[in-house]
Amino acid sequence: MEHSLSFATWFWLLVPMCGVVLLSLLTWLLGK
Amino acid sequence: MTMSTPTLVTFVVYLIGMLIIGFAAYRLTDNLSDYVLGGRRLGPGVAALSAGASDMSGWLLLGLPGAMYAAGMNQAWIAVGLSIGAYLNWQFVARRLRVYTEVARDAITVPDYLENRFYDKSKALRVISAIVILVFFTFYTSSGMVAGATLFEKSFGMDYGVALWVGAIVIISYTFLGGFLAVCWTDFVQGLLMFAALLIVPMAVIGADGGWGATLDSVAAVDPARLDMFHDMTLFGIVSLMAWGLGYFGQPHIVVRFMALRRSSDMPTARLIGMTWMVLALYGAIFTGFAGIAYFAEQPLENAETVFITLSQVLFNPWVAGVLLAAILSAIMSTIDSQLLVSSSALTEDFYKSLLRPEASQRELVWIGRGTVVLIALIAVFMARDPDTTVLGLVAYAWGGFGAAFGPVIILSLTWRRMTRNGALAGMIVGALTVIVWKQIEGGIFDMYEILPGFILCAATIVAVSLLDRPPEQAIQSEFDTFEKTLHGR
Repeated sequence: MEHSLSFATWFWLLVPMCGVVLLSLLTWLLGK
Repeated sequence: MTMSTPTLVTFVVYLIGMLIIGFAAYRLTDNLSDYVLGGRRLGPGVAALSAGASDMSGWLLLGLPGAMYAAGMNQAWIAVGLSIGAYLNWQFVARRLRVYTEVARDAITVPDYLENRFYDKSKALRVISAIVILVFFTFYTSSGMVAGATLFEKSFGMDYGVALWVGAIVIISYTFLGGFLAVCWTDFVQGLLMFAALLIVPMAVIGADGGWGATLDSVAAVDPARLDMFHDMTLFGIVSLMAWGLGYFGQPHIVVRFMALRRSSDMPTARLIGMTWMVLALYGAIFTGFAGIAYFAEQPLENAETVFITLSQVLFNPWVAGVLLAAILSAIMSTIDSQLLVSSSALTEDFYKSLLRPEASQRELVWIGRGTVVLIALIAVFMARDPDTTVLGLVAYAWGGFGAAFGPVIILSLTWRRMTRNGALAGMIVGALTVIVWKQIEGGIFDMYEILPGFILCAATIVAVSLLDRPPEQAIQSEFDTFEKTLHGR
């Protein structure tokens, strides 16, 4: 593998979108 | 490409399945609240997937993978903005709206809620918002039909008119029969199909490319810039793309799902299901288009938007391809049916019942609801008969228009006791006008997606006009207190 996605691309691709799912999971767990 | 027999069979089974759901829902529909809001008895799973599937149109399986295929990673910003917007909507609007619409004398539509919330005897809020819903969703529905019929014409050489009528008749039938419950249950099945398709297609393409590393290398060989989310992007451009997420708070066909949830305490479960569905589906669409760059490196596609449909035809056996095709149609149909029903509810509840026949029986209202579904659908089919017609360009205003005209009104009405009817009315008008005017002007700041200025000006107008206005009557304020007590379980 010669090429990869840059750190900034991975960061913005993963953190906000996975973040909102994790927040949903967290508030769901806290509400249990 | 022609449609093989197994694909056709799978496809027909899908369409028949939708009709069976419509018939089942018909048996549970007795009054207008059932017909336009399912009698508020949606479970969290159905509410979540129905909100997601109604939101995500053919764009999810055609437009987004197409944009990723054509330009690469920098097209993913819109998905980031949409995910954040949808989450904030679930977090701050959903439960409040569910509770307040019930406290405000059981409002069953968005215009109904606005009138009840502000005790608006003039009916101005109800009538203006209902007209906006009716006009834009008729065009929206029509443009969805054009998208569906064009897809079948281009992909399988099917006659445009035949595709248009077959699709329209199936949607009209189940929406006519079962109303909101039929729309939500079909949305649920359609949402599952879309989800499955968006998980298996990208995995299959990356596999066919020779794995993730090989995919990256092949994409870089085509154009290394396509690996970079910041390529050719300014902060201005990124903000403009992410601003799409602001649209969520004002989309009547989405927020009505919140109002229909069985118990407001189910909201965290619905939110978790809805967000997981949405984010995984968006990733699926992003990586399908991205891996498609590598797959079609030697022979690029003529039309980027066919990347998903072409991959599903070449990588899978015809039975699975039929299911994947049904998934694309699901994305289109689940949006059309919801918009159709919201338009029908605006005509039935907000015009017929409110203005013409307040004494109408429930049975009469349900049948008027069914009649208006057929009427609006036929108008939409009529407009869709010529796919190149310019009137459908109005759709470009719809997402931003609803977001800017209704979004701040809904958010502030659920959080600010001091907001007044005049504030709501002025905000709605300023939000809508800003979107329309902003779109006409080009260059500099006017290249920004018009929802952002529209949203800000709408919110500012609501605050300014409300503060200049007399404070709301005592009855409105006590109802707001009741709402807050109910919301916090006191």
